[in-house]
Amino acid sequence: MTAQTQPVGIPRSWKTASVLLPGLVLMSAGPALGDRIERHFKVESHPIVTIHNPTGTVTVRAWTKAEVLVIAKRATDRVEVDTEQNANRVEISTRQIPDNASPNDLRADFEISVPEDTELQIHDDSGGVNVSNVLGDMNVETIGAEVALEDTAGFLNVNTVDGGFQCSRCAGRIEAHSISGNFRFAEMRSYHVHAQTSEGNIFFSGEFFPSGIYQLKNYSGVIEVRFQPGDSFDISATSLKGKVNNEAKLTPSSHHHSVRGVGNALFGSMNTGRAKVELSSFDGTINILKRD
Amino acid sequence: MSVANCSQFLNQLEQWMEGQRPADAQSHLRSCPTCQGLVEDLSSIEQTALSMGATETAPPDRLWASLRAQLEQEGIIRTEAHGWIPGVIHWFDGVFSAVPRPALAGAYLVALVGISLALAGPGYRRSNWNDNATRPLSAQLEAEQDTLAGVPSDPAVTASLEKNLAIVDNYIALCEKSVQEDPENEIARDYLYGAYQQKAELLAEMSERGAGQ
Repeated sequence: MTAQTQPVGIPRSWKTASVLLPGLVLMSAGPALGDRIERHFKVESHPIVTIHNPTGTVTVRAWTKAEVLVIAKRATDRVEVDTEQNANRVEISTRQIPDNASPNDLRADFEISVPEDTELQIHDDSGGVNVSNVLGDMNVETIGAEVALEDTAGFLNVNTVDGGFQCSRCAGRIEAHSISGNFRFAEMRSYHVHAQTSEGNIFFSGEFFPSGIYQLKNYSGVIEVRFQPGDSFDISATSLKGKVNNEAKLTPSSHHHSVRGVGNALFGSMNTGRAKVELSSFDGTINILKRD
Repeated sequence: MSVANCSQFLNQLEQWMEGQRPADAQSHLRSCPTCQGLVEDLSSIEQTALSMGATETAPPDRLWASLRAQLEQEGIIRTEAHGWIPGVIHWFDGVFSAVPRPALAGAYLVALVGISLALAGPGYRRSNWNDNATRPLSAQLEAEQDTLAGVPSDPAVTASLEKNLAIVDNYIALCEKSVQEDPENEIARDYLYGAYQQKAELLAEMSERGAGQ
């Protein structure tokens, strides 16, 4: 699954081209540069930044400059950092110098500053991904790397294998998939959340927007949703072989019927049922609890 | 031919996917969630194929040929019973004919599982379920898994992928048990198919890593 991408136009004016074309160079960091590498790229609005870093942490923060700043720290000179600008796209990647280096030798950590409307595409197998205050669309793929997003927006698409995913004060649309990663959504302001992890736990606390859709699913583990008395949602919670615990005062649903073979199921509306909340688990526990 | 019900819509599905959309078919689709779901699934597969073309990921012919034969033989799709399926398969072959084919099968594997699930959508599965229904998927995924045994990678990443493959296999086993105990349980079936899809995606990830080495 990929996040929606926005087309990047080739700059038409010579003035713009004169700013961007000097960036059309491939810069490789040789050993002589040492372990800290710094690169600056002038960009226009809605730039796209792609980062491919198999091992290490990637930290991205928004700032007010129309510029992308890349600071890389390499564990050794057996890993090279390549950066390239093509029009309004900046590509950052690490690659292994053919060697019998251990994975730790191939680690590179990045601190990247971007304009807040940047679209991000990040691939990081192991290490960690931290993004804060970036409002553009985002596609993050990891194997074991933990993903932490703060104060983000746009279409956020996060896929991990066993890396956890934490989203704080995230808005926009969120799609998250994992096999054994835990998900934590806190102080959410999203109108659409679709999160599925097989063996992980899912925690959700935040606003339920009118017409918003919140779908949380796992096979086992705990799904916990926190609500406030004023929240308005229509909820269905089913655990095929597990339990559903509920503290919400729900009006029984008129359009749901008992579901065959489901160990525990709950359907109903809170207040006027303006948002739609769907919680489902195979043999996990679902908790619908009051927010403190 | 006018379209008044699902059967008539499905008979025109190939033409629909190729862009021929008469008003009565549009009208049926607006009012039928089952057909909407099928069309969305097939459209998603088409998008996958297009993205594969862009990235030059490629499917091995053997995979689709083998899976289709098994699907037809063992129960998920029955061409003699559902006249619309050959049309969709023809469309599917057409979609993938434009995709370059020399390399490995990561995304294609996902698409294959996707189309097998789409063809075996909820309504169809409900009426055709039997104990062998997931055997072709399972066999195909296991065969693909065997071919990936020697894929080189970062040992920690490989260990993580293998650990999670075992997790998914465990869920497949649990779900299969549930389905065997209660074949009419639609939720258990959906979890089972979801687990297969997850396994396909995991194998695709491993496959693409192998291709990238």
